Amino acid sequence: MQHADPHDHDAATAYLWVMIFPLAAFVLLAWGLVQHPLPWHWELPWVPGLGIDLAFRIDAFSAQMLALITGIGTLVFVYASGYLAHEPKAGRLLGVLLLFMLAMIGAVSADNLILLFLFWELTSLASFLLVGFKHEDAQARASARQALLITMGGGLALLGGLILLAQMSGAWTLSGVIAAGPRLAEDPRLPLALTLVLLGAFTKSAQFPFHFWLPNAMAAPTPVSAYLHSATLVKLGIYLMARLDPAFNQVLFWEAVLIGTGTLTAVWAAVLALRERDLKRILARTTVAALGTLTLLIGLPTPGAGLALVTFLFAHALYKAPLFMVAGNIDHATGTRSIDHLMGLRRAMPWTAAIAILAGLSMAGLPLSFGFVAKDAVNLAKADADLFLLVGYASVLVNALVVAVAGVAAIRVFWGPPEAPRGPVREVHWTLILPPLVIVLLGIEFEFLPALADPLLIGAAQAISPALGSGDLDLNASFELGDLVSATGITLAMGLLFFLAWDRLHQALHRLHWLDRYGPAAGYEHLLHGLTRIAAWQTRHLQPGILSASLRLTLSGLLTLGALAWLALAPPPELTWDWGPQGWAWVLAAVLILVGAAAAVLLRDRLALLMASGLVGYGSAVLFLFSGAPDLAFTQFAVETVLVVIAASVLPRFGPPLPRAIRDPAIRYSPKSSSSADLVSGAGSNSSRYRPGLTPFSLLLAAAAGLGSFLLMTQLSPLPVSTELSDWFAAASLPEARGHNVVNVIIVDFRALDTLGEIAVVAFSLLAALPLLAGLRGRARP
Amino acid sequence: MTLILMITISLTVAAGVLLLLSRDLFRTLVGLAVLGSAVNLTVFLAGRPGSLTPPLIPPGLDRLPAGAADPLPQALVLTAIVIGFALLCFALVLGAWISQRAGHTEVDRLRLSEPPAKDPLKPTILKE
Repeated sequence: MQHADPHDHDAATAYLWVMIFPLAAFVLLAWGLVQHPLPWHWELPWVPGLGIDLAFRIDAFSAQMLALITGIGTLVFVYASGYLAHEPKAGRLLGVLLLFMLAMIGAVSADNLILLFLFWELTSLASFLLVGFKHEDAQARASARQALLITMGGGLALLGGLILLAQMSGAWTLSGVIAAGPRLAEDPRLPLALTLVLLGAFTKSAQFPFHFWLPNAMAAPTPVSAYLHSATLVKLGIYLMARLDPAFNQVLFWEAVLIGTGTLTAVWAAVLALRERDLKRILARTTVAALGTLTLLIGLPTPGAGLALVTFLFAHALYKAPLFMVAGNIDHATGTRSIDHLMGLRRAMPWTAAIAILAGLSMAGLPLSFGFVAKDAVNLAKADADLFLLVGYASVLVNALVVAVAGVAAIRVFWGPPEAPRGPVREVHWTLILPPLVIVLLGIEFEFLPALADPLLIGAAQAISPALGSGDLDLNASFELGDLVSATGITLAMGLLFFLAWDRLHQALHRLHWLDRYGPAAGYEHLLHGLTRIAAWQTRHLQPGILSASLRLTLSGLLTLGALAWLALAPPPELTWDWGPQGWAWVLAAVLILVGAAAAVLLRDRLALLMASGLVGYGSAVLFLFSGAPDLAFTQFAVETVLVVIAASVLPRFGPPLPRAIRDPAIRYSPKSSSSADLVSGAGSNSSRYRPGLTPFSLLLAAAAGLGSFLLMTQLSPLPVSTELSDWFAAASLPEARGHNVVNVIIVDFRALDTLGEIAVVAFSLLAALPLLAGLRGRARP
Repeated sequence: MTLILMITISLTVAAGVLLLLSRDLFRTLVGLAVLGSAVNLTVFLAGRPGSLTPPLIPPGLDRLPAGAADPLPQALVLTAIVIGFALLCFALVLGAWISQRAGHTEVDRLRLSEPPAKDPLKPTILKE
């Protein structure tokens, strides 16, 4: 809310200095345009091995985008400093806004494909942070996530498309791909590459069926909506498509998809604008409609479409950004954006009303505005191309609806019957009036002094439509064409009708709200919900919190992988019973180990079990002893003995072993909660008798594990062994470390740091065990 | 001669896995020990044991003679034995503490930290 206390002025201008950055960029751009002819190149090797260089190329089309980004950016920062005067986190918002501007500048000047992708994703990220700026609000969070998922998902597709294009053309630059364009037409991968690229562009520029994130992104503060979601970010997809158009405009697939999607998006969005009551959302819907028209224009094969595209792109930014700012001003002054509660504000907010009228004129495409020029150019381009009748009717409908929205934003809100007083509404601070005023006045100026804008626009049009001659480049040529004027008249008349019938149409469309259940937005919700469900289901099954189930899963997975690896590997060599120097000693060790292992499986008594497992260790020690490894043998003897002692000391705490068969129904699980039906397996669910650990599946797994390790070792045995390290240790042990026992020297000298880590592990396990031991000492088991 | 070792190790692995899959917590821990021994042996086998002579430099020589056993796998297995020992000691104490606290040793009923889910989507949050 706006309060006219003296501190306001200080607060409103506290962050004004931030505008220096976009202003400096804008001045630099203008200076560069005057000094150096386009296009500019700049290249710096970055990751040459991967074809990623810091390659930038700025031609007239990029320069036009840059002018919009920095020029409107400057004014948006002025606006933001006033709009966020009482926002404690204003600094953060402006910081992210600056980051966004940099990413945007990078995205429209990058020539390298990967660089373009990086900047592209950075703009999505900045958009996420800005839409979710009011993160205390669940709605804002959901909208931010939606914008992020849709644009980043599209970005992923774009990456795939760009890589495909690079592989097909052999160039990692946009200019290289465009130059190779006609050559790519025969490549069978082209449809896939174009589909992926278009997915990226469509998600970014809110084309059907990805359009729904844009109206929801209106949860962002108004400066963000004016900057990102009308003037710059959403134009990035348009920028890329227009950039690539010279290469592919002969491809039928490309044309058909662009014209079809553009038309559908424009109609869909324009009609849905009737359903909204929130001024910003209404404007957002018409932004989507404008983006659809731009996509349609790219798809048109005629050269004039390029001129129409750049002109409309420019004009749209010049009227839509001010209109968003008008909506923000109204919100600021009255606390609402619902058109139901906004009437007759012209007396209270004369400046904002004036801006709204001027911007509305341009939006409706009325004479005296740049929008008029743009509309003419668009109509000309459409008239030149032999469009389907349906597309032509659709554009008339869209234009009429846009006129109606312009009427709502400019007239209804300010001129309607004044409603009941609701407290003082006063005009907003100058920082909120100056920026939109400057932008709309620029638009009008360009109408009267086209020489200021024409060079840039014509250059930009030639950059994306090389076929464009210099003959058909007079922007105001269409003044004479009577039929185009009459077409404008039809549009205006229809627009007036829509405007007058707005509320009735709104009611009618509102009755169709059940259709929402089948829309793309609902599809997104289903997808998101389904993802959560799948994630939950998967977690329940992969991580059930039941040890045996987890073990079974892990082992099964591991063994499956091993089996697959086995299929891919060569068959192992024949194995023979060569009788080495160890002879009977190894046989003795093997017998000890096997007896121990078998006893451990079969015995039930815990102490006996413990002794049996100790036998496995002792057998290993014997084996070490007769393999020239006395150190290992002694360590193993010691460890095994201590382990048995420790285990025996905590053994009483484990209580008696489980009975072989249980009849306690409490121990059986319902498959639902445990998610593993074979928990009670063995004898089946009709009887609760089973032998612990000896279920058929466990036996199978154990056998498979044994077989797997055997096969692993047979694969291992023919592989050559490198003795390089061992030889080095053998030679260096005495001269360098003064030790005769090479194993000891390796452990305490050459690999001393590893051994320190090992000691730390032992120490930590002791530290971790200590509190548990204290707990054990406290209570004896009943 | 390594064939007999391979067979021994494979059977030990099978026994270890069988113990590990047991219903009883104590048996599970013993399974861990048995499996650990088998893995140590596998690493040792990968070093191709063959010589009976320990890797000791005899007095008078300044390097290991050619016939001695390879010291490197021994050093690695030695480290593995000690680490495995530390792990097992801790696991045994933890197991004892858990079974004392729960009053039984049935692994599948020990669900203190991961109780059965109540909500179809959200994980159950532990309350201490």
